[in-house]
Amino acid sequence: MSSASVLCRKGKGVTSAQVTRRSNSMVSSVRVGRFSLDSRSKVLEKGHSRTRRQADRVLDDDGNDVTPQPLSQADPSGAYQAKGDRFFVEDITGGSASEQAAATGSFTLPFSRSSFGSSRLSGLSTIESIQKEILYTFSKRDMPISIPDEHKKRDTVEEEVTEEMLKEVIDVYISETDSVSLLDIPSTVMSVDTDESEAIIERNRQYAEVCRNRMGNDKYMERSMQTLSGAAKDKHVQSDAVVMVNTATSASTWDIYDALCSPVPQKTNYPEAVVDMSRSAERSMSVGSTASTATAVSSLKEVDAFGSTSGAESDLQLIMQSETFQNCLLVMEKSILGNTFQPDLAAYRQLPVLEDPDFPVGQRKEETESGGPPALQRLWAFSCELNRGRSVRSMAWNKKNTDLLAVGYGENDSGDLTPGLVCCWSLKNPTWPERVLHCDSAVTSLDFSANNPSRLAVGMLNGNIAIYDVQGREQNSHVVSSSECLKKHLGPVWQLRYNQQGLSFAGEKVEELFSVSAEGRISRWFEFNTGLDCTDVMKLKRIHNTKKKARGNNTEKTGSVLTAMTPGLCFDFYPTDPSVYLVGTQEGLIHSCSSSNNQHFLDTFRKHFCAVNCVAWCPLSPDVFLSCSSDWTIQLWKLDQLNPVLGFTSIQRAVCDIKWSPKWATIFGAVNEGQLEIWDLNSSFLDPVAVQPAAPGVTMKSLLFTSRADCVLVGDSDGQVTVYQLKNLRVGESSQVDILQDLCSEASS
Amino acid sequence: MAEVEETLKRIQSQKGVQGIIIVNSEGIPVKTTLDNSSTVHYAGLIHQLVMKARSTVRDIDPQNDLTFLRVRSKKNEIMIAPDKDYFLIVIQNPSD
Repeated sequence: MSSASVLCRKGKGVTSAQVTRRSNSMVSSVRVGRFSLDSRSKVLEKGHSRTRRQADRVLDDDGNDVTPQPLSQADPSGAYQAKGDRFFVEDITGGSASEQAAATGSFTLPFSRSSFGSSRLSGLSTIESIQKEILYTFSKRDMPISIPDEHKKRDTVEEEVTEEMLKEVIDVYISETDSVSLLDIPSTVMSVDTDESEAIIERNRQYAEVCRNRMGNDKYMERSMQTLSGAAKDKHVQSDAVVMVNTATSASTWDIYDALCSPVPQKTNYPEAVVDMSRSAERSMSVGSTASTATAVSSLKEVDAFGSTSGAESDLQLIMQSETFQNCLLVMEKSILGNTFQPDLAAYRQLPVLEDPDFPVGQRKEETESGGPPALQRLWAFSCELNRGRSVRSMAWNKKNTDLLAVGYGENDSGDLTPGLVCCWSLKNPTWPERVLHCDSAVTSLDFSANNPSRLAVGMLNGNIAIYDVQGREQNSHVVSSSECLKKHLGPVWQLRYNQQGLSFAGEKVEELFSVSAEGRISRWFEFNTGLDCTDVMKLKRIHNTKKKARGNNTEKTGSVLTAMTPGLCFDFYPTDPSVYLVGTQEGLIHSCSSSNNQHFLDTFRKHFCAVNCVAWCPLSPDVFLSCSSDWTIQLWKLDQLNPVLGFTSIQRAVCDIKWSPKWATIFGAVNEGQLEIWDLNSSFLDPVAVQPAAPGVTMKSLLFTSRADCVLVGDSDGQVTVYQLKNLRVGESSQVDILQDLCSEASS
Repeated sequence: MAEVEETLKRIQSQKGVQGIIIVNSEGIPVKTTLDNSSTVHYAGLIHQLVMKARSTVRDIDPQNDLTFLRVRSKKNEIMIAPDKDYFLIVIQNPSD
């Protein structure tokens, strides 16, 4: 405040001088009643007054120009002034001001203006002191008190601070203005040591005496006075409200982990097309506590109508296209189906069935373990509208993931040559296949590879063999096809099998694909130049035998010189020696052959007089195999006997498929066109122990056992693959191999 | 894209499914088969639940993350598949 008094004194001089009146401005003193000066007082400087500074001049009596100079330059830095520029509305007595000023000689108090010109580095080498006051005088009468706009303009003018300017050495001269004491109240206390103390003590003593003498003394009289209290004046100050914003965040363990370890994924792919203010505000608020997030979210719900903003639409598109969403949908579908099919799947996997506690199914009869005859219980069926009406030709389990089933569909009932279809089903979703592969022609056989579990070989009606890779989700992911091969099959490929023969140099089992087709060739296939090529392992020559003539086999010519080929319908590899295999032909003969000898058969088993539809080695007991044929019979053979050990027949329908149970050596299943039969050699030779008739109008075509569970899968001509569970089979824990051996030796003896 | 639509239709036609809601990362439902008020209700409440569940799982082990959430109630079951960009909510009544 040192400079203020300087100006005051100057001001005194001014008012005593004559005040010259200018044309557009009047310099007059202003009396203010109460003036609050604080360091942050921001007073609008009267810009226009400043520009007319030149016009304001003060002359004293002699006509000298004693116009007070401003102490600072007129820096156009209104940066600080922009904030809270407020006008001090003084109670300015307008009209009388000038006269009073002249009369009473009251000094003008300057409006303080903190020029924050020092806040910016200017090109000047000196920085003047921060607090500068400039004398501003204005006339209320002439000029309306208004907020000049130039302030705002001045705010934006800022000099750019360059690197060089920052590095410049700036000399700072600090000067101090004279000290002005505004208030000087001398102390009333003095130390005893000083010189004047004696006089003071003397005075004090005298005063004390006077006080003592006061009582009852005529010299002193009491009289009251009333002080006038000055007129109170209200002064209002208004400042900007201080905006307070609460922010809080809680960092949990994983927040910290995320920040440290994983890179924060930037959502740059989201188009920020429409971001309305409420949404961005919501985002910023969501940093806060969860409670506020909840309210913010719920309030946002009411504000935004879903799907109506373009941001939501594009979100939907992005979501739908993302890979994880598709996976997520599949998982969800499986969960839903898991709920629906839970009892069936649990029965399949031999888990206890969870009963729904709210909807107790009391009507279900709980069959006890011991009671009841062996029965088949239907669990569920794999079917969807893709394969409605197509007949199931072949089924195969995946070798690695035993929940995956590949089903090949052939032509439909009417016999049209529709393109074939292979569906890979998963146990977890019986309503829609995991993979759908469209093939060129009807599928007749398929098999999964054991070395590459995702490869599926498919044999078709037109003789082509294609190998597909079912791991990827693309539609046509077939790897190789034999359609360009010169030696490809010309007739339908009735059976395919991957066989593991021998060991390669690396020590792992070499796996080869074998096929038997209607033209009488058994071929071994290998991949060659993105195609398949084959070598013939065996040609099935027709054996002329006038005694046993195939019934209904029109094409056979008796006594013909040319050795015609007979179609082979099925084959199976010997489990212990993969180079030996059995072939069933359309004539009804079963040949056992070796892959080392492709000219002659090792043995021929004759019994059937119709086409042999399936041969199957028993997986548990060596040298025993079954064969089934269209002559309504099933025969059980031993390898060393040319005549069957046992024969079974139940109803007079052609037996399409036959399979051994993988767990029990005495049980096998057979499918003829009318029903599914489960035979237990331990119980009865004459009748199957369990029979499941087919649905009316539907013929059963193929059969598959499951390796772990006691279930069988039956494919029928309507495209359905039904899963049945075997119950109450009354077999022991052992694999019954010995029983089978005993039976065979008994029967053959 | 068509496959996704097909899968959604299949889910919708499964036994007992009452509704499907897809919610984006901000908690706004982008696709639904229920009516508006229920959708908004479910989306808001489930969002909070999933946040809490995810926070719980990750607090115990930050390398872990929530993959699926099933809430079984007396009348139905709510299955939620959360992801960082979206939630998929399916409400099923399996005994229907």
